[in-house]
Amino acid sequence: MKFVVASILVVSVAAAADGLAQEPTYARDIAPLAADRCTMCHHAGGSAPFGLTTYSDVKRHATQIAQVTRARLMPPWKADPADGPFVGQHPLTDAEIALIDRWVTGGEAEGNISDAPRVQRWPDGWQLGTPDLVVSIPTPYTLQASGTDVFRIFVIPLPVDRTRFVRGLEFRPGNARVVHHANIRLDRTPASRQLDDADPGPGYSGLMLRSAQYPDGHFLGWTPGQIAPLVPKGLAWRLDPHTDLVVEIHMQPSGKDESVQPSIGLYFSDEPPTATPAMLRLGRQNIDIPAGTSRYTVTDSYVLPVDVDVEAVQPHAHYRARDVRGTATLPDGSTRTLIHIRDWDFRWQHVYRYVEPFALPKGTTLAMEYTYDNSTSNVRNPEHPPKRARWGQRSSDEMGDLWVQVLPRSEDDLVKLVRDFRPKVAAEDAIGCEMEIERHPSDGALHDDAAMLYLELSRFEDAIRHFRAALALKPDSAVAHYNVGTALTLARRLDEAAQEYQAALRIDPDYPKAHNNLASIWLSQQKYDDAIREFEIVVRLQPDSISALENLAAAYAAAGQPDRAAEIRARRDTLLRQKRPPE
Amino acid sequence: MQAPAGTAAIVYIFTSTECPISNRYAPEVRRLVDTFASQGVRFRLVYPDPADTPDAIREHVASFAYGERTEAFRDPEHALVKLAHATVTPEAAVFVNGRLLYHGRIDDRVVDLGVERPAPTVHDLGDALTAILAGRPVAHAETQAVGCYIADFKPWKQ
Repeated sequence: MKFVVASILVVSVAAAADGLAQEPTYARDIAPLAADRCTMCHHAGGSAPFGLTTYSDVKRHATQIAQVTRARLMPPWKADPADGPFVGQHPLTDAEIALIDRWVTGGEAEGNISDAPRVQRWPDGWQLGTPDLVVSIPTPYTLQASGTDVFRIFVIPLPVDRTRFVRGLEFRPGNARVVHHANIRLDRTPASRQLDDADPGPGYSGLMLRSAQYPDGHFLGWTPGQIAPLVPKGLAWRLDPHTDLVVEIHMQPSGKDESVQPSIGLYFSDEPPTATPAMLRLGRQNIDIPAGTSRYTVTDSYVLPVDVDVEAVQPHAHYRARDVRGTATLPDGSTRTLIHIRDWDFRWQHVYRYVEPFALPKGTTLAMEYTYDNSTSNVRNPEHPPKRARWGQRSSDEMGDLWVQVLPRSEDDLVKLVRDFRPKVAAEDAIGCEMEIERHPSDGALHDDAAMLYLELSRFEDAIRHFRAALALKPDSAVAHYNVGTALTLARRLDEAAQEYQAALRIDPDYPKAHNNLASIWLSQQKYDDAIREFEIVVRLQPDSISALENLAAAYAAAGQPDRAAEIRARRDTLLRQKRPPE
Repeated sequence: MQAPAGTAAIVYIFTSTECPISNRYAPEVRRLVDTFASQGVRFRLVYPDPADTPDAIREHVASFAYGERTEAFRDPEHALVKLAHATVTPEAAVFVNGRLLYHGRIDDRVVDLGVERPAPTVHDLGDALTAILAGRPVAHAETQAVGCYIADFKPWKQ
């Protein structure tokens, strides 16, 4: 790929050398650059604030164009192009920037307009074709005229009646002037929707929940000028009924009230995928940057347990990050920079997709190193004067993640990778969760989240501590008692666990899971009568449950009542026959 | 420069209908009008882009809710631009009895093109007006505004 980059450079230099002989003109020199690098956003109805498709357009912004190209603000491309090539990468060469500058200082001549490339027609509709499903928010959101950036999360149910496989998703901002980027996730639980419903007006303000996730290792999102291409059919991701899209939109007030109504088109395939990528998230949640510190470094790394192909990367940090870098060190000691952004700008949250995915062998170390400036010399610092900055999702907090999308070579390798990687993420999430709890000590849902993460990490005492904290906030909740009981059971503190299940049952006598777990404890302690009594209650409460009958039968068998056990098993078999679909 | 009786100062705000940077300043300009208009400060919007037609300007003033206390002027020949030494939109120029006492940025929120503070740390225009109304000299009579270049707003043959 280096060869391709080099050849583009040669062509550009040649063009510039041509230009030296004669004054640059709009038609011959500037229009082709604009058509290639600018007009995909800068056209009528595009995401940029003005068009650059005609001579008068370009002339009306000429000084500005010279300035922003020289500063490499435009075209907006923050990553070092040498680490790609990345899809959609179209930086200007130094020679091209010099050419623009000479055109502007030299009088902005139009030239012979017939030399200019024909103005491309930009489709008004969907760039990826007609979607199979279009969803939107029911009523527009009104963005206030002034103030700092606004982040709003919209939860949109996806009306599918059967499992579909999704090849792509196109986000249309609805008001390109103010929508700066969109983070999109899927929530298979009703949790995000409940937050949206509880907040008056469209969407909700707050944080993305942990239940809102990328689907099957796929990036979803949008930045101006970036539309992720459809994936090959074999890589489509699974969409089940009762799933919600969770769309976090970053908006910048324009000076007047703006109406924002984004819509999203989905493109389906009927075939299940033949391969599934994995999303690896490097990053730390123990970030704690003292006020005034001008250089604070966050590092993280992970050793790949299987061979993979790297498809795409997305760095994420907030306003204090300055230099953002990801690397891969192969087992043979050679290194490859995955991405390097020397002047991090929170406002450009690209997914950087490699034109050609590349292989990394098992044993490769993926690493990230981000540096932050929390002093006054960082003008983007959200706090003035600077304040201590800790990890958190709010834009006034700080983050440091590097998402790496990889494609393992087989289903077995995918399972191996996910199993190996998951505890690392859970441990980091637990640290972040503790930080959130410090901020909101009486948020029971956060304590539940933390406890679940600790259960996953087999850190049962920590799980018990958090479930107990949630219980203290809701002492009348049967579920909260039950949760404490579960963690105590896993910690093998069975007597205390039994007390919690009994407390849950005093509040809700018809709580089958509490009866079931209590019965299991009695059974393990050979208290057969108690176990049988509890399992009988479960069967009464859940007459259609196969497992309830099996548990009851096992309890009778253990208690030395084989006839009764056989009788229960016969009931189970009858139920199984009823449940089996007709041949 | 004819100022009606009772005028303590005239503030010209150079703007353009389609410059996103000056448009984002509309609420701050309205806030300054609310603060200073009652103290005899008159605010005038100046549109130096010949492409901004009278209709486009009327629509712009209405949609950004500048209100009736803010008069709008077209300046296609850049007469006011030269008088005020304005280079970009938005840029402010404060005249008292025909003398230019302040010109430059409204505040320091926009540091450079593409680089913004979350909130201003210095309110240059407001500070200048406060000083003028108090009869004190303006501490920084000239600052560098950041925005869309007025140099780009020159007439061209169609």
